[in-house]
Amino acid sequence: MESPSIQWSEHINEVPKEVFVREDVYQVELERIFYGPQWHPIAHESEVPNPGDYKTANLAGVPLLIARGQDGVVRVFYNSCSHRGNQVETAPMGNKKEFECPYHRWLFSTEGKLIGCSNEREFSPGFDRKDYPLAQPRTESFYGLIFITMSPETEALDEFLGDLKNTLRELMAGDGRLKLLGYQKVRYDTNWKGYVDNDGYHAPLLHQAFKMLNWQGGKGRQYVTTKRGHVGFESELSVATGNGALEDPSLIEFKGQDPSVGSRVISIFPTFVATKHLDVINLRFATPINHNVTEVHYAYFAHVDDDAEMVRHRLRQSSNLLGPCGLISMEDASIFHRVHIGNHAPGAAIFQKGVKSLSAVGSEFLQNDEAANIPRWEYYRDIMDFERSAA
Amino acid sequence: MTLDSQTLTQIDQILLDQSAALDGKDMKRWLETFVEDENAGYFCLSQENAEQGLALGFMYDDCHARLRDRVTFVTQIWAGTFQDYRTRHFVQRVEAEKIGNGDVAVKSNFSVFMTPEDTGVSEILATGVYEDVIRLGNGSARILTRRALLDTSVLPRYLVYPI
Repeated sequence: MESPSIQWSEHINEVPKEVFVREDVYQVELERIFYGPQWHPIAHESEVPNPGDYKTANLAGVPLLIARGQDGVVRVFYNSCSHRGNQVETAPMGNKKEFECPYHRWLFSTEGKLIGCSNEREFSPGFDRKDYPLAQPRTESFYGLIFITMSPETEALDEFLGDLKNTLRELMAGDGRLKLLGYQKVRYDTNWKGYVDNDGYHAPLLHQAFKMLNWQGGKGRQYVTTKRGHVGFESELSVATGNGALEDPSLIEFKGQDPSVGSRVISIFPTFVATKHLDVINLRFATPINHNVTEVHYAYFAHVDDDAEMVRHRLRQSSNLLGPCGLISMEDASIFHRVHIGNHAPGAAIFQKGVKSLSAVGSEFLQNDEAANIPRWEYYRDIMDFERSAA
Repeated sequence: MTLDSQTLTQIDQILLDQSAALDGKDMKRWLETFVEDENAGYFCLSQENAEQGLALGFMYDDCHARLRDRVTFVTQIWAGTFQDYRTRHFVQRVEAEKIGNGDVAVKSNFSVFMTPEDTGVSEILATGVYEDVIRLGNGSARILTRRALLDTSVLPRYLVYPI
């Protein structure tokens, strides 16, 4: 499919607003990004800890079934029967001994093999159950975080993640041995690109909590790695005094070990954001529903070695701090909506803070810059074949 | 044990009081519908999490201090940053039974409509069931703990006010 004709500014920090709101742009994005050569995180293995545990998910309309087989291996299947394509499982999560498609009672093992189907003797010549497992997208994982791609051309996950790997591993408690605490699921009225365009510039300005709680930012940096513009953000964990504004300051208490790089955020092209802040470990699985709506499943975790008190602390902190109703994040959700409304007006969205050149893409940024978004936009513009005006 | 009609009237009154407080965006009055007890609490979570044994919520205020902080979030910290919206709560008691120490466990269905000020279009914000522990005393009732269990496992927008 050809990209629609959209003229981009000669300036590297300007994004034409129409790319956020045009349905024809989204159709090309589906082909080149969501079904194209990208890796998409879809689940963490700890969400399905026991044999037979499963979770269903949706990536840009494609139904997925993530299951831990009786053999202990976690696999990702299309949630679509290998016979006529019927949706196999309907619940968001659960535990099954087998997966049965109710339409013609085709029965699959938790490893995805077809183990039963009725009236088999009347099937087409040469029919063999072995040829009809639940189909699978390509899958790779990193410390339990499972990625899928629907393109045979995507490079190995190791190369896709590049220098981001260490930050991602550290973010998942250093070893990825996580324990699920639960979900906050929400739909935002915003384009997926607006959802990931968050920045460091706004934090002390939009979020009044930082001022009210006397919560100063620690030293930190943002770095961009790989051609896709994945962003890693690392900073000293600053611990707020609370300033008397909260009657229960345990919400912003840090009980972990090392505050020197205690705060981490990563953004992986196209839509995945994860954060570790204070004692919150949060993986945000996001998918576009259409060009105007993005659904985000905020999954929160403890570490398997946590004692009961630490699990309780993480639960209390995770629920109230960083999600769609969180103390220092509800406002972001509101901004997602409002920026999308504003993007229907003509003109460009313009990055300023941290932009040192109107023509060159950087790779190291200050923690309160918004310019770290630019490398990702440059990659996007390139794969979408949008041309920049001549200088 | 069957509850007498006077007790049920008191229970219904506190259910309606909290609805009116929320729809009036009166967070001080919302706080007053809870018992002033360290163990008072408000939890808002999806039924989906609860059924999986996952305690994580959209809001997890497990002590009276956190209820007071919830008032601060809405009235001070977040003021002026969000697209405001009106809500209408419809609440219907479906079960009430005495538990130990004279408290009453009450289940009520709820549906909450929202009308964002910037669209003016009314939509359903959430539907589900309240599981409350209600404390009786001195001719009136107040809420000790409320669990708002949302059938709406995927919220249609961010939440500012408690459900």
